[in-house]
Amino acid sequence: MRKFFGIMLLLLVMVIAGCSSDEKAGGEASFPSDNIEIIAPATPGGGWDATARSMQKVFSDNGIIEENMNVVNKPGGGGEVGWQYLKKQDAHHIAINSSLVITNNILGQSELTHKDFTPLAILTTEWNAVTVAPDSKFETGAEIMEQLKKDPTSLKIAVAPSLGNDDHLSFVQAAQEFGVDVTKLQFMIYESGGDVLTAMLGGHVDVATSSVSEFKEQHLAGKVKMVAVTSEKPIKGLEDIPTWKEQGVDMVFPHWRGVMGPPDMTEEEIAYWDDKIGKLVETDAWKEILKNNEWESYYMDSTETKKFLEEQTKKYEELLNVSGLTE
Amino acid sequence: MGVDYQYVIEGFITAIQPANILWVIIGGFLGTVVGMLPGLGPATAVAVLIPVTFGMEPTSALILMAAIYYGAMYGGSRSSILLNTPGDGSAIAAAFDGYPMTKKGQAGQALTISAIASLIGGLFAIIGFIILAKPLAAFALKFGPAEYFLLFLFTLSAIVSLSIGNMVKGFISMSIGLILSTVGVDLQSGVHRFTFNIPQLSEGIDFLIVIIGIYAVGEVFYNYMSLDRIKKEKKKVGTKWITKEQWKQSKWPIIRNGPIGFLIGVLPGAGGSIASMLSYTTEKQLSKHPEKFGKGAIEGLAAPESSNNAASVGAFIPLLTMGVPGSGTTAVILGAVVMLGLKPGPLLFENNPEMVWTLVDSMFIGNIFLVILNILLVGLLVRILDTPPKILYPLILVLAFIGTYTLSYSVIDFYILVIFGVIGLMMKLLNFPVAPLILAIIVGSDMEQSFRKSLVAHDSFVNVLVASPVTIALVILTILSICYPFFIGWLRRRKQSRA
Repeated sequence: MRKFFGIMLLLLVMVIAGCSSDEKAGGEASFPSDNIEIIAPATPGGGWDATARSMQKVFSDNGIIEENMNVVNKPGGGGEVGWQYLKKQDAHHIAINSSLVITNNILGQSELTHKDFTPLAILTTEWNAVTVAPDSKFETGAEIMEQLKKDPTSLKIAVAPSLGNDDHLSFVQAAQEFGVDVTKLQFMIYESGGDVLTAMLGGHVDVATSSVSEFKEQHLAGKVKMVAVTSEKPIKGLEDIPTWKEQGVDMVFPHWRGVMGPPDMTEEEIAYWDDKIGKLVETDAWKEILKNNEWESYYMDSTETKKFLEEQTKKYEELLNVSGLTE
Repeated sequence: MGVDYQYVIEGFITAIQPANILWVIIGGFLGTVVGMLPGLGPATAVAVLIPVTFGMEPTSALILMAAIYYGAMYGGSRSSILLNTPGDGSAIAAAFDGYPMTKKGQAGQALTISAIASLIGGLFAIIGFIILAKPLAAFALKFGPAEYFLLFLFTLSAIVSLSIGNMVKGFISMSIGLILSTVGVDLQSGVHRFTFNIPQLSEGIDFLIVIIGIYAVGEVFYNYMSLDRIKKEKKKVGTKWITKEQWKQSKWPIIRNGPIGFLIGVLPGAGGSIASMLSYTTEKQLSKHPEKFGKGAIEGLAAPESSNNAASVGAFIPLLTMGVPGSGTTAVILGAVVMLGLKPGPLLFENNPEMVWTLVDSMFIGNIFLVILNILLVGLLVRILDTPPKILYPLILVLAFIGTYTLSYSVIDFYILVIFGVIGLMMKLLNFPVAPLILAIIVGSDMEQSFRKSLVAHDSFVNVLVASPVTIALVILTILSICYPFFIGWLRRRKQSRA
């Protein structure tokens, strides 16, 4: 019995030690003076978590950052919980973000915008794809849009996990370019990209829009048919899939992920992260991770990121408006 | 049949390499431990181990993660049986009859039969995997929103109608569960329902917190009410060897429910929790003496235990054949596997068949190891019951809070935990059945979303009901299970009037 309690106690101590937040250091010493914390505002298993854990691994394995590093998961509210938490931390804490840091606010689901934080970098992007069943009569994205133009309610479109995200809006933007009445489109919202794929494979929906990585294996195996991608140039390994640009729509739609720090960071702290992240994206280990995850490098430093986020905000405001999600 | 037996055998040879056996043992042991601790489940354990797996052989990493997963199926029921606090979602059903067995002084036998049932269920599923993986994956795909909606409806109707003599209370309990399951963002419309501007609530109330609250915390509260009255008598734990009579009673339930659990596990989105609940209700309906269920019927323990372990093996079918995770834990495993450069999906069987079969064969070894481990542990575990309540209950509370925190690292969950502890206490005092509430919370949100998607897909409610042979079968099963208690009541009245 003693032994059993001994093990329990040990586990307990370990868990508590793992969870306790770092003590704040004096602040006079040069940055960084404390452990580094990378915040994944989601549960383990998704893209945000994978990005955070990959950063941690490459930073420490390649000796880019010597300090101790932890990944903390703060899931909830589409990033809201994690970012609220970040807002109260110092520059030793950085959080993963994506377009949700912009759209949550426009959709009225959050008070926070990217302006409440210090943009540090954009790291990666995925591209979105439109997919149909392998025996579908549609061969291109344009054909789908032509049909939707005639009758916007005639096709069931699977998307996850919510309206107003990139998977949804990239489809809306393409449809709008074709003159489809986008407010009438019939979306079925699934919980995850995996569920969208399952629904597509089972023939429960006509069209699916999700990230390329979600569909790639199935496309190569001939189980689904990709008919359009949102990238600038055809995607490596999927050269036969036409981009929307090649189908006559002037649209490139990245599904990017970046990092940001708490508000009011000093010049020195921003420079530190620019330097470290700049090194990170050059490593082979990082490139290997991108390849395994079907991510593409989309690196921008802190200055470019700031400008990029401004442009993105305008784009999303307009798109959410036409899709009928905001007034 | 496209089974290549050569690969099955080659996989076995790889699986019995010392390094891989070591990973199976480590994973199985870790899984058993995290399974026992309420709240700390296999998903968390796998997530914590992701950085460790980075440097590993992909096959070994998969073997390790899978072993944690089914190891937890063995471990989860330990705490259900001994303390009435399920270690994991899929171990709830083990508390229904496992804990009453402990109270009757049969803790040792309960632990043994649950380990044996898990083993047999697991072996069934492994054989099922080897023979049926591909056709089953194709069948699972045919489950659209209409099928899911009716499957969930059937599960709920079965559990409510089984609260025999207590149907009204069972119905109230289920309704509360359904109401609670509406908290959070509604996927179809994006509306925040009952979240009161608390972002942590936007993803709904995690059913694991509800389980820990109602069982662990509620049980502790309940025992505190009578703490001073508990006598210092040494509780009987009995032998760990099951009798011939007990084996006879559990044999068929174990054999029947292995395949049921396996099939439920294959369906993406359903998992061990639903499988074990459904098995429990099936067994109760088939039983000649359903009134013994809930009072320590050994078949009521054996059935769900066989089922949930079979489901954990079945869940690997959609993961490996389609790259679609069938449960929370397999979702985390998928993430980890992708980081290793593997792409689960239709091409995995063609490009890396030896890896798939090594994994499946390692499950075989792992299950045999786990049953030995768990039977050896019986002697040690039953001593928990000797712990003075004044030490044991605070310890359970501590574990409950830690487990809750690890779910989403949020202190708001502590309040929810305590609230459900109080609800659990009230339900116990007022004699409300808990199972319908828990099941409603587990399936409620998925059921509602499936229903609304099925309406978009099939235009009208009637079309949803007759969408496919599967939906028609499910409708009939649902009607039968609702009529069942009325039929039994009618039979009984007729008997009485004749007498």
